[in-house]
Amino acid sequence: MEIVRRPHARNLVRFAAHKPEVLVLSADLTSSCEADDFRAAYPERFFSVGMAEQNMLSLAGGLAREGMLPHVHTFAVFICRRAFDQVAMSVAYPNLRVRLVGFLPGLTTPGGVTHQAIDDVALMRVLPNMTILECGDATEVESALDVAHGVPGPVYLRMLRGEVPRLFSSSDPMVLGQMRLVSRGADLLVVSSGVCTEEAMRAVLALRRKGVSAAHLHVSTLKPLSGDGLCDFASEARLGVITMENHSVVGGLGSAVAEALAERGVGKRLVRLGVQDQYAHGASKSYLLAKYGLDARALIGAAERLCEAPLDIADGELLGVDKGPADEQSKAEAL
Amino acid sequence: MPIDKNEKQRLQEKARQHRTDIVNVTEWAGGAHIGGAMSMADILTILYYKFLRIDPARPDWDERDRMILSKGHGGVGLAAVLGRRGYFDMALLRNFNKFKSPFGMHLDCRKVAGVDASTGSLGHGMSMAVGLALGARLQRKSWITYCIVGDGECNEGSIWEAAMSASHFKLTNLITIVDRNSLMIDGRTEDVMALEPFADKWRAFGFLVKEIDGHDFDELNDAISDAREKRQAPVVIIAKTVKGKGVDYMENEVKWHYGSMNSELAQQARRSIEKMHSA
Repeated sequence: MEIVRRPHARNLVRFAAHKPEVLVLSADLTSSCEADDFRAAYPERFFSVGMAEQNMLSLAGGLAREGMLPHVHTFAVFICRRAFDQVAMSVAYPNLRVRLVGFLPGLTTPGGVTHQAIDDVALMRVLPNMTILECGDATEVESALDVAHGVPGPVYLRMLRGEVPRLFSSSDPMVLGQMRLVSRGADLLVVSSGVCTEEAMRAVLALRRKGVSAAHLHVSTLKPLSGDGLCDFASEARLGVITMENHSVVGGLGSAVAEALAERGVGKRLVRLGVQDQYAHGASKSYLLAKYGLDARALIGAAERLCEAPLDIADGELLGVDKGPADEQSKAEAL
Repeated sequence: MPIDKNEKQRLQEKARQHRTDIVNVTEWAGGAHIGGAMSMADILTILYYKFLRIDPARPDWDERDRMILSKGHGGVGLAAVLGRRGYFDMALLRNFNKFKSPFGMHLDCRKVAGVDASTGSLGHGMSMAVGLALGARLQRKSWITYCIVGDGECNEGSIWEAAMSASHFKLTNLITIVDRNSLMIDGRTEDVMALEPFADKWRAFGFLVKEIDGHDFDELNDAISDAREKRQAPVVIIAKTVKGKGVDYMENEVKWHYGSMNSELAQQARRSIEKMHSA
């Protein structure tokens, strides 16, 4: 599997090339949010606003009022927790074209609880006018800004940084409101987003080898969610639906799917994998995904629950997708 | 340039009318943030009748000056002056803050012509104004952004984040006016959370500070004229005002931050305004 290094950094420069209205605002996390190449390429369009996220968000609203297209870069937690009132009242309420590029979603941060955005999707979902996109691989990172560009209101992007695997072909970019059908199957429906999709792909392969077929949908537009399409697949899933997200199970993809199923009267069992209403501790990404039940092994467990039978899948059988070097073996990631 | 006697009289007449409009709308609405609307009445009057380069027939005219009321609860005052300037029919204000009216307690820039930002959550407007001023500079526009901030609002940390950034970006096309009426909901600003030495704080943040009597048109005129011309740093005008100014029973009374008026109180208020402006 191809691993792409810093796809956002390059893509941001490409995206902004012929769009003079595109600005980048950064709150002292410029290279941590891969905006440093942009800063070098277009210094006149880059604004360091210091470690002051509340000001950054309202200021971005002001710039958007004047026809500029600010792309706010910081960690997801600092957009959604620190400056929530500003996002709500200075950006979402006046429906302004501000792009909120949130890095280190969920458990993908080395920073521990203070830096884990496990509630950002829930917070952004509840805001009227807000569109939410989440990147699951390098191709999506490379297309997310273009997708957001077509949205007339504010967009929150759950962005990936650093070494990002390519799960989907470059010729198959992210499309607004369109889920990806990763695989077909009749027994289960797996709905995943973000970094969980790679884990889900591994598990779905292993399940198939054991005779359990799962349809697998990858969701990159978390809001508005394509509920109808999703429920068509859910209705066909014999044993039930499993959602898998790098977020709290409260208010994120799992909640959105539950709402969609209930509202359409799709009576299927639902297992929501994600952070189970708790604060997680800090550690490497792979450790945390395993510890908090967001990895391939957790999905196997959920499938066993719905099948009501053990599937006897050994760890060795979960290596269907080349994962590259394990996090534990590489140098600890810096903030 | 100083204002002459005729100009001053004209402004005073506009201010009298503006204060009466505020009382009327408050009476119609059954209640409004009248105290702070009265304290900034002369500020809004001189901005909307002298300084702002605006065209009420074209509220989105690109070259207009911008005015953000960061103390968004003063919406009743802003609505009154916008209506009187012709942005909309004054009769619409009879339904201010009522069902199906475009006017809420805090004005929505997507519903009310002439409103440059939806405010109401305190501490946002000045940051938005910084964004507008920065946007103007990036697009090489000559218009000016005005921002009226409440003194109690300056308890919000985000005001100082905004101040830091206005200074950092050297936004000399931004004029901030603080309505320093020294009262907030719970009492005197200095008792609730002391702001003094207030001017020093702004100076320390890199602002050119002007302290004036916010009800004196000569001082307002000089300070704003000066701020428009002298462009080395962002300017803040600390306008010392009286909450409830013009209505004898409201002046400096904490309880008139937000008030309801029956017709008798409203009549008394109108008489008081007439008396003050004819003195």
